[in-house]
Amino acid sequence: MKVGIPGGLLYYRYGRLWNSFLHALGAEVVESGETTRSILNSGVSKAENESCLPVKVFYGHVLALKEKVDALFVPRLVSVKRRTHTCPKMLGLPDMAKAAVGDAVPVISPTIDFQSGLWHNYRAVYSLGRIFTSDPRRIIAAGVTAWREHRLYLERLTLGLDHRGALRGEADRLLCEGRDLRIGVIGHHYNVYDTFTTMSLLERLGSMGVDVMTADMVPEKLRERELKRLPKDIYWSYEQEVAGAILACSRYRLVDGIIFMISFPCGPDSIVRVLCEQENRLMGGVPMLTLVMDEHTGEGGFLTRIEAFVDMLWRRKRREAEELEAVAV
Amino acid sequence: MRITWPHMGSLEFVLGSVFEELGLDYVLPPPNSQRTLELGARHGPEFACFPLKTTLGNFIEALEAGADVLIMVAGRGPCRFGYYAETQRRILAEAGYDFEMVPLEFEPSRLPLTVKRLNRLKQGRSWASLYRAIKFALHKAHLIDRLEQQALHQRWQDREKGATTGALKRCYRMVWEAGTYADLARVEEEAFALLRSVPRVEREEIKIGIVGEFYLVLEPYFNLNVEEQLGDLGAYVERNIYLTDWLRPSGERPVLGHHEHGSERLAAPYLSHRVGGEGIFSVGDTILFQRLGFDGVVQLMPFTCMPETIAKSILPQVSKDLGIPVLSLVIDELTGMAGVATRLEAFADLARFRRRARADGIELAPQPAF
Ligand code: SF4
Ligand code: SF4
Repeated sequence: MKVGIPGGLLYYRYGRLWNSFLHALGAEVVESGETTRSILNSGVSKAENESCLPVKVFYGHVLALKEKVDALFVPRLVSVKRRTHTCPKMLGLPDMAKAAVGDAVPVISPTIDFQSGLWHNYRAVYSLGRIFTSDPRRIIAAGVTAWREHRLYLERLTLGLDHRGALRGEADRLLCEGRDLRIGVIGHHYNVYDTFTTMSLLERLGSMGVDVMTADMVPEKLRERELKRLPKDIYWSYEQEVAGAILACSRYRLVDGIIFMISFPCGPDSIVRVLCEQENRLMGGVPMLTLVMDEHTGEGGFLTRIEAFVDMLWRRKRREAEELEAVAV
Repeated sequence: MRITWPHMGSLEFVLGSVFEELGLDYVLPPPNSQRTLELGARHGPEFACFPLKTTLGNFIEALEAGADVLIMVAGRGPCRFGYYAETQRRILAEAGYDFEMVPLEFEPSRLPLTVKRLNRLKQGRSWASLYRAIKFALHKAHLIDRLEQQALHQRWQDREKGATTGALKRCYRMVWEAGTYADLARVEEEAFALLRSVPRVEREEIKIGIVGEFYLVLEPYFNLNVEEQLGDLGAYVERNIYLTDWLRPSGERPVLGHHEHGSERLAAPYLSHRVGGEGIFSVGDTILFQRLGFDGVVQLMPFTCMPETIAKSILPQVSKDLGIPVLSLVIDELTGMAGVATRLEAFADLARFRRRARADGIELAPQPAF
């Protein structure tokens, strides 16, 4: 059976896991690959205009696979952490995918929900496996392999490889190499690692001689500690990561500046943005640039803003160094 | 301590009644207006949900009118609503207002905190009296809902435009003034009699259902009076949400008389999981309306609303399968009255045309949503 995995949204986190699980079960996995102009265009014309950019991109990936596969794999991730939810769009994603392809292709969508306990998730994964094989041992073995690969993938992200590098297991260049200026590029995985919609932001920063710190590279302990300080806890799983990373970056000066990547019109981010910008200001944190991306974002304007921000950070850095010197003398 | 809360349909009568009962000081924000919206949009975050902005506007206007304690319901999502109170607190604090935000959270682990907050709000009144006041207010809410429903059902037959609406306004007053259960029973009879006495004419019937995001369905000012507009266009209207469903979130839906689960089951082939807000009900109740013989469904969606965006992506499929036209209205601060009026008019015409065709036994192609 040919199973397609659309390369959008949570693919930028669990792609490795899904692929190796299905592969180990004996399915022929087809991926839609990286986002391209034509994928974006077809997604934009199919999806609701009010959807957020990543969902539109996701539609594009779904449509790109539609003709090529016997089934689509779109899991429903309800909650991946205790007492949190993912975004509503992710809750409804399999149903949106179904509406997008009609009856042409079946959609396989196991429901993963960490609020319902391990047993529920075990069953969901197990019955997913049963679609492909009747051998329970094979399912469990596939699960173990997939999980191991997933951990490895995540670990590589924390070490400073980007998504592409982490998938391959090697990169020509690390995001963080100990250069003088370091910028936190924080946002959802798909807002940071999708080279097409971010217009290769990470790479460009690298070639401008700037180190990049992603949310994955911010130590989890620090993120959690920041989240605990908030008067009201954030109840979106991935939003916790984003907010925790931004607050930790700004409190401990892990970076010289932060670029907050948001897609238009992201629901959770619109709320978390208020919180992050305000807390950062109150802490007297670091300069922060919030970039809102949509399908109309032009490359020219985008680059100008990035360059201006980087220049500003350099100037600041130099000024601070001079002041320090003056004090020392 | 001058308490206030945002407007949402007839909520002012219900909460107001609680505070009157207890003899506590409160102010209502000035009625919703263009200014409310402008204030909310100016201070509110970019592409936050529409209701966040409008209720923020309410708060600002109420603060100007002397309120200093703001009540808001909060929760744990998955939608944004649970985070409104905190976001608005941050925004207002930064804008330099002096106030206290009291978020009321009703999930089990936060109940002790909520009890503490309620205790402060009731300012020394006894718990028993608070309980009595709330119970009485809920009765009022239920009555108001049924009166509103009656108005929805009969407005299309009005001989004079606006007669039902006028009568309904008088009903609100009557309910508001009722002070005891005996009063309320009397008011109930009188109010229904008043509504029913509005002169009617015979018209050709069409039936249109309204589904959508809670706040927008309940707040006539911001949904551009769709109910009234549809009624005036000659449609028997029903909506899937009443205030009581929200005040008593047991899933019972006392006004419509069916449980939420029914709606969820209907939605299942299209949307098999709750997506926060009213997303799943917008889908399920569209199907329900179709089963009940309605000729069309209007979906109300605040711009960027996540659950309704999901519903909106799925409704075309429902509409195609079941042959019921669906009109999705996306509303934000830029939505113009004129545009909506024309679209509603066209929609009512379409519904009427399809009804006639059906009566004549003419096969119709499924109507895609528009
Ligand atoms: S978190 Fe934001 S960007 Fe991601 S799917 Fe939800 S709305 Fe879209
Ligand atoms: S249901 Fe829609 S409008 Fe209401 S909080 Fe959720 S996203 Fe906002």
